[in-house]
Amino acid sequence: MNGRMSLLFRNSLGVVAAMLAGVAAPVANAMDNPLATGVVRFALDTGEAATVSGLAAKLEGESADYLQARLLLASGQDDKARAGFEGVFNGASHRGDAALALAEMAQEDGDLTGAENWYQQARRAGYGEVVQKALLGLAELARMQGKSDAAGQYLARMEDGYWAAVGYMNLAADFARDDLDSSRALVSLRVAMAMAAKDADSNRSQALLDQLNLRAGYLALGSDDYDKAIDFLEKVSLESYYTPQALYLHGLALSRKGNHRAAMQSWHRAKKFPLAFPGVSDAWIGMGRGYDLSGYPGQAGESWLAANAAYEGERVTLGKLSERIKADGAYKTLVQDARSDDIQWFLADSRTLTQPRMAYLLRFMEEPGAQTAVRRVARLDEMVATLDASKYNLQVFIQALEGFVRSADSRAPASQTAAVEQQQRELETRLDRLVEQAATPAQAAELRQLKQSLAAAGRRMSALNQQVVHRPERLETVLEEARAMRDATNGLRRETLSLRARAARELDALALAFVETQTRRMTHALDKTEQQIAHLYEYLALENLGEGAQ
Amino acid sequence: MAAMAATSHSSSLDEQIERLNADITRHTASVHALEQKLLHPVNTRVAVFLSLANRQALELDSVELFVNEQPVTAHLYTENERNSLGQGGVHQLFIGNLADGKHSLKAVINARAANNRFVRREIVHDFRKQPGTLRLQMTLNAKAPDYEPEVSFVEWK
Repeated sequence: MNGRMSLLFRNSLGVVAAMLAGVAAPVANAMDNPLATGVVRFALDTGEAATVSGLAAKLEGESADYLQARLLLASGQDDKARAGFEGVFNGASHRGDAALALAEMAQEDGDLTGAENWYQQARRAGYGEVVQKALLGLAELARMQGKSDAAGQYLARMEDGYWAAVGYMNLAADFARDDLDSSRALVSLRVAMAMAAKDADSNRSQALLDQLNLRAGYLALGSDDYDKAIDFLEKVSLESYYTPQALYLHGLALSRKGNHRAAMQSWHRAKKFPLAFPGVSDAWIGMGRGYDLSGYPGQAGESWLAANAAYEGERVTLGKLSERIKADGAYKTLVQDARSDDIQWFLADSRTLTQPRMAYLLRFMEEPGAQTAVRRVARLDEMVATLDASKYNLQVFIQALEGFVRSADSRAPASQTAAVEQQQRELETRLDRLVEQAATPAQAAELRQLKQSLAAAGRRMSALNQQVVHRPERLETVLEEARAMRDATNGLRRETLSLRARAARELDALALAFVETQTRRMTHALDKTEQQIAHLYEYLALENLGEGAQ
Repeated sequence: MAAMAATSHSSSLDEQIERLNADITRHTASVHALEQKLLHPVNTRVAVFLSLANRQALELDSVELFVNEQPVTAHLYTENERNSLGQGGVHQLFIGNLADGKHSLKAVINARAANNRFVRREIVHDFRKQPGTLRLQMTLNAKAPDYEPEVSFVEWK
């Protein structure tokens, strides 16, 4: 942004030059059609639609109507975009793309029947990625309506890869919720794992596999199949968001098998993560339980006391987080400050999973509605930044134009023009004479070139003379246009800031409710350890009594 | 009931944000058009565009552009941008002003060829600027078996 602004400063003289040359037509009106079509496609694909909306009329070729509809959608004109996509679907090209866009628009509006119809059309008319997206859309719609079998049939038609894996994972979640037996869910998860392994993006594939293995481990543990659970959980990577929970469940499976020592090793590793992550507070309690079951009541007591202290500390941290949210807002506290880069580069890799604030941000983003609320604020911030840039640019133009209007002297250019015109005529006469005298072909070619250049200068001179006559009015018009735009920018900025304040209030309310839930979770964990400590003391007291009686 | 009220409240906020976004997009387009009108007079304007002829042959990393030996722009391509170029997108690399006469354009292309070889090539193109807008389209191509990058230039006047 700064670079662009300084460029505008450097070019402010260019504004004056533009006025001298006459107000030029914008790029939008001058670009050739095939080029304009490519430029619009690139801008739409990279989210820069605002800069090319003037090129809509220049679009040509088989993609023109489709790109035009996408331009309308990107500029928020949904109704016109819908009509445009329908027109494209009734045409010959981009039928699948248009149907997919219409399906997504219908789903966003809550029209599930319409969405299903358009997804079906996209599946029939499209090819490649469009078909994959349409099938996933149909599977998700079927799942939302409780039709698991139909969803499974759509997923079975998809090609192996990330999206098919996500579809099967969602289906497994439904089976796990509805079935008493975990076998259908585990089969779905195994299919999802096979699909995810085929994903070309290795980071994305690994993240999904971690989540799938954790879910499968949890289900196997619930079915008392401890070896299977351990097998799944050991496949979760040690540098993932899912690691602490996998370590806790791994310890639990080992503990159920009677291997308390190994279980405590897993829980000890889970304890290294911030308490915000799922499974960490349970691992703290598990450590004491492990010592207790292994016959070390003294160390069990110490472990629970240490867990108590950790939970107390976390409640203080949560209290401070709540205060910060109330003072600075949730967006700054949780989102912006969590990505501060005041850390040495060699620690940067592990910071994501070791900083409590980042841990709470990750956990918070899992809450329903949190991502939408954060995205709203971020989007409004982007809008404010765009408007600020427009305002700054317009201010530079207005200053330059005002300065030029003040210094414009209508007498001077007339005399300068006359002198230059005289010079042009003299040069033309000299050149004509030389052309007659040219001896070699090289000289003739050189003189032809010069004649072309001189003729071009003459054309520009006469064009300039015509423009100079209308210059003051033209300058005033552009200045008025720029001032009107500046006023409009200010109005839009005020409106954006007001909506931003509303969106931020909603985000704050969600974040505070989340922090409150986390505080309750810590209080609950604290109650559990205190109960364990009470039981231990009771047991020790009874033991002492028994020994005394003997 | 409270949850329903909260949902309708949020959706009305989303609708307002959408409407505002449409207004801001239109407004930014007008400001952009005015900028173009003022900063790049039509008679001296030069724009350089980049497109790909063959999607599979080259994975474009970056392009550096020099006009008359002066660096004017450099762009590092994202996955998204590469995909768009592969589907016929055209990237406007540079827009500026030049006086009439002879000029030289140098492009330094960094890419990975289909045979997994990293290539860095300098391409120089001399052109003559005449009154009126000049648009130079660079089209990048590489052919099997050696996948040596080739650049062709089209001048749109």
